Amino acid sequence: MLSLAARSGALSPYLQATNVAVNGSLKALLPGAVKGDSLLKSSSQKAPAISACVSAPGGIRMAHTDIKVPDFSDYRRPELLDPKKSSQESSESRKTFSYLVTGATAVVGVYTAKTVATQFISSMSASADVLAMSKIEVKLGEIPEGKNMTFKWRGKPLFIRHRTEKEIATEEAVDMAMLRDPQHDKDRVANPKWIIVIGVCTHLGCVPIANAGDYGGYYCPCHGSHYDASGRIRKGPAPLNLEVPYYEFTDDDTVVVG
Amino acid sequence: MAASVCRVGSTVGRALAKARSPILLSLRRGQATVTYAQSLLGAPETRLTALDNGLRIASEETGHGTCTVGLWINCGSRYETEKNNGAGFFLEHMAFKGTKKHSQMALEQQVESMGAHLSAYTSREHTAYYMKTLAKDLPKAVALLSEVLQSNALSEADIEQQRSVVLKELEEVEGSLQDVCLDLLHATAFQGTPLGHSVLGPSQNARTLSRQDLVDFIRSHYKAPRMVLAAAGGVTHEELVELAKQHFSGVSFEYEDDAVPVLSPCRFSGSEIRMRDDDMPLAHIAIAVEGASAASPDIVPLMVANSIIGSYDITFGGGKHLSSRLARLASEESLCHSFQAFHSSYSDTGLLGIYFVTDKHHIDDMMHWSQNAWMNLCTTVTESDIARAKNALKASLVGQLNGTTPICDDIGRHVLNYGRRIPLAEWDVRINAVTPKMVRDVCSKYIYDKCPAVSAVGPIEQLPDYNRMRSAMYWLRF
Repeated sequence: MLSLAARSGALSPYLQATNVAVNGSLKALLPGAVKGDSLLKSSSQKAPAISACVSAPGGIRMAHTDIKVPDFSDYRRPELLDPKKSSQESSESRKTFSYLVTGATAVVGVYTAKTVATQFISSMSASADVLAMSKIEVKLGEIPEGKNMTFKWRGKPLFIRHRTEKEIATEEAVDMAMLRDPQHDKDRVANPKWIIVIGVCTHLGCVPIANAGDYGGYYCPCHGSHYDASGRIRKGPAPLNLEVPYYEFTDDDTVVVG
Repeated sequence: MAASVCRVGSTVGRALAKARSPILLSLRRGQATVTYAQSLLGAPETRLTALDNGLRIASEETGHGTCTVGLWINCGSRYETEKNNGAGFFLEHMAFKGTKKHSQMALEQQVESMGAHLSAYTSREHTAYYMKTLAKDLPKAVALLSEVLQSNALSEADIEQQRSVVLKELEEVEGSLQDVCLDLLHATAFQGTPLGHSVLGPSQNARTLSRQDLVDFIRSHYKAPRMVLAAAGGVTHEELVELAKQHFSGVSFEYEDDAVPVLSPCRFSGSEIRMRDDDMPLAHIAIAVEGASAASPDIVPLMVANSIIGSYDITFGGGKHLSSRLARLASEESLCHSFQAFHSSYSDTGLLGIYFVTDKHHIDDMMHWSQNAWMNLCTTVTESDIARAKNALKASLVGQLNGTTPICDDIGRHVLNYGRRIPLAEWDVRINAVTPKMVRDVCSKYIYDKCPAVSAVGPIEQLPDYNRMRSAMYWLRF
């Protein structure tokens, strides 16, 4: 078998491997064979194989004492390179280092995972164009005094009225006791010159008409609600004043609502 | 007939029980009873003397009709290099092959005619040559021993002949898988250091060791300060000292070039070695951490800890009533064929571990429960565990010394390791001083969160990855 392997050249490792495996199964057939389970027992029947094979690459190993534990110096930490030094002394510092590095990596890993997860989940929230639709920027210079302009905002009409001095004074002088939904004008405007309200009647949702009604403000034609120049309900079935949205003046001429 | 015997027996028993006298109830009625403590203190003292050349003589006079006398030498595979690893073992083979005065036949005849046994062993740090004989033959025994040791013939012919015997023995030891497994454990745990050498040495050395190597080995290691002449049995210390002076005064105590071999510490490497062979029926696996040296104060708590884990064999009949928890599990879940907790201690280090033999489907479970047992030792060992372990340990220490040879071996090893014989009474005191907290602390020091060395032989596919075994050396719950 071995000589066959030698002549076969390239195939020889495979043939030799077969040789070893065959030995393994054959040993059960050998009579009176062997208490141990070692491959050697069967090989001892062929004495020449032992002396020939020890250092041969495909050969049968003679004894477990021939096993050489490889030198792992390339992989050892510097404190453990010297075989004459006990490994106990450096054990604390080595463990601390390993655990610190692992701990730090774990913390960084958690934050990375959190970031990635947040990015993926927040991709399902409102997109930029939708968010953009939620605000509206209005140039106030285009609205003359005494005029009301209507804008479409978030699917609802938005009334911006440039109030005159007289209107402002009138609204500020209104007595709270007369109002169904008492609110002072100061509480409904940031800048008294401009009244910004959502043009949805608080009764049943129709759009009031500007510059109409008995109080110089808005009039809802559906059921006859009269609003004043501050958007407060004065007469009619509506229960509440017109809603004032969140807005801020980016400068004297521009307001961003929403 | 049987019924009446039973009735009589039970009446007698009841009467004795009522009498409540321990003497009446004991099986040795009529003889004086001695308590355990008394027997410990009454044990004969081991006497120790030294010759001028440094050779120590220790003996215990036990009053037996026989005796064991031998030489214990502080020399073993740890003192060998890569090139001469196996020399001690070879030398042990050569020892009884004839001396300058007696040929092999003559030597054998001398020994046989006395009815004596001459034997030897080599371990990693000790070598021993000893003879078991009748007490009256002590002078002849010492004479023969000194001859064997000092004037060994070491003939070339015998050396060549012994080569094949050593090679054959190397082959045979492959069948003793426990030895293979534990040898591999040392080889990997102490890799790159002399403690990793096996006692037998590689086959290459068995083929190439020459007479000169053996002579050099004797010359560098068989020195008087490293030897102990130990004896136990019906020997008197004075007689032994006289004989030693007569035969061993000539043993050298000087080293060539003053090159005293000093043992350097051996680095322990947490590592593993797997020799997988699926054709074997059983897997032999050992897992160990670095343990305590022989003279360390931690030895006794570690011995108690090992007694808690204990040992087990499938032939044990205790079943679920075995005291060791691991043994109970092993029996009920058929986890293994056998296991034992071991602690091999050397002069400055040791291996504390568990060795088990199991079939290929229970390796994972057995490893898990073994490491679990270790974790319990480090964290939750209780007073009752300790009490039981202490008793078991004391019993085993006493029980081991059941003959002149074990006693002589004990004396020899103790004098080499500790410089004196540690009497049983002292072991007793030290064992009694162990508390659960001490065991927990000591075990945590050696076992908890340490890298183990693992060696495995056989159908070991199921053996967990090293990282898993390393992770089982600590508990997150603590």
